[in-house]
Amino acid sequence: MKIVVCIKQVPATTDAKIDPETKRIIREGVKAELNPFDTYAVEEGYKLIKRFGGELTTLSMGPPSAVNSLRETISVGADKAILLSDRALGGSDTWATSYALAKAIEKIGNVDLVICGKQAVDGDTAQVGPGIAAHLEWMQATYVSSVEDITDESIIAKRMHEDGYDICEMKLPAVITVVKGINIPRVPTLKGRLMSEEVEIPTWSAADIGADPEKIGLMASPTRVVKTNPPPPRESSTIKITGPADKCAKELVRELRLRSIL
Amino acid sequence: MEHHIKNKIYHVEILPPKQAVTIEKLHEGLDGFAEKYNRVMEDGRCACITDNAMGLLAFQGTEVIEELKLKVNPEQVMIHLNTFHTKENLDEILDTCIRLGIKYLLVISGDGSDRLPKLQPTDVGAVGVEAVTSVELTGYILREYPGKFVIGVAFNPYEPEEHEFEKLDRKIAAGATFVITQPIIEQNKVVDKLLKNYPSMPVIVEAWMSKKLSLLSDAVGYEIPEDTVFDPIETLGELHRLYPKCGVYLSLLGFKYQIDKLEGLWK
Repeated sequence: MKIVVCIKQVPATTDAKIDPETKRIIREGVKAELNPFDTYAVEEGYKLIKRFGGELTTLSMGPPSAVNSLRETISVGADKAILLSDRALGGSDTWATSYALAKAIEKIGNVDLVICGKQAVDGDTAQVGPGIAAHLEWMQATYVSSVEDITDESIIAKRMHEDGYDICEMKLPAVITVVKGINIPRVPTLKGRLMSEEVEIPTWSAADIGADPEKIGLMASPTRVVKTNPPPPRESSTIKITGPADKCAKELVRELRLRSIL
Repeated sequence: MEHHIKNKIYHVEILPPKQAVTIEKLHEGLDGFAEKYNRVMEDGRCACITDNAMGLLAFQGTEVIEELKLKVNPEQVMIHLNTFHTKENLDEILDTCIRLGIKYLLVISGDGSDRLPKLQPTDVGAVGVEAVTSVELTGYILREYPGKFVIGVAFNPYEPEEHEFEKLDRKIAAGATFVITQPIIEQNKVVDKLLKNYPSMPVIVEAWMSKKLSLLSDAVGYEIPEDTVFDPIETLGELHRLYPKCGVYLSLLGFKYQIDKLEGLWK
């Protein structure tokens, strides 16, 4: 089985700043890290390869510094990593990005499964995974919370939605995006981290993947950010729990569970 | 642990290199770790290696010792072990300890983070509990690795007293044989009570060696004004005077200037 996990390097902050002119996230001077949701995608890819055999490749489109996040994936078990980096790709929105990633996946060749995190914590669009599937014309399942079964021909996945879950069977090759609860990502070991520095990570350009220049970069991106606003503050309320300590504690745990905090 | 106290062996905290650093910083961190570790060994003290302290992701002490091929004297190394691991990872750490000859463990519940997995009750064979604490982890280690480890536990004199003593009883019932307190910088009534109520239990008091009092405020849970006059070495001397029957754990000891001042301090 050949699995590709698409990852993104994102600003290591929960307080992303938007450039008022370009309406894009300011990345300069901000520490970067592997998108937390992608750690679940990498772990799932690793688990599947461990179980069924094959090869796990991680792929990222971004600036040269994104190689650090790719190295992190090597340190937790990816066999190979590829960086897609080219000035011509700069300014790509989710549609142009997913096109470029799809072209890179085609170049890798004979891929059975693509796994993405459910979304990146900077853009929060959750569009790149489905975009890759659309460009490749493969089947897809988003918000997957478990891979129930996988064979050479098909995959059965459980996907979450607001009212419950679906069990989907899809022909391979396919794309899935995974949610946080699908696994517990391992933390890199020292041996893995040191080894990851020895691995050569190739950088592919837009020309290397045979991308149509008309379909990449800012000019090929249909998204126009007209205005950005912070989300409205969440409504808060206070509940006072009274009574004996043990009953209060039980009630508190129940209330927190009802709100999915515990 | 009694002989550590009898022979005036300091427990010196060493933090392993953090995860989220560049490779250059990592190599610097590994060199720094080796330098500190070797110094503690040469001085005949006990190196106490933290486990993702304050929830900040770091490499495991065991893997650093193994990777750097550092010499282990079983009497001079203690590993902190918290509940934020996968079962696989926990067993790997314990197996590595046995392979390296490390027998002292400080078992703590620990500080979690989004990136750290948490042991589940089923992982450690705990029944009737909702979460794994140092009690269940201690029980698991002693059950699965009989005779291999000497386990100490933490005691927090800043927590509600009754609750903390009740927790300590459960930790002792699970098999803990020594106690390390949270940092104290003066006489502490709860620590006094601990010594009085558990006369045969070896107690090690933690001495705060950093001048950064804001960090100590975080550790103890109450605000210590930044302008408080605080000399860590002087305070350490005072703790020896106040608690002559206790061992001492030195947190955040300065290896540049402070370590040489330890000589002769514990009389």
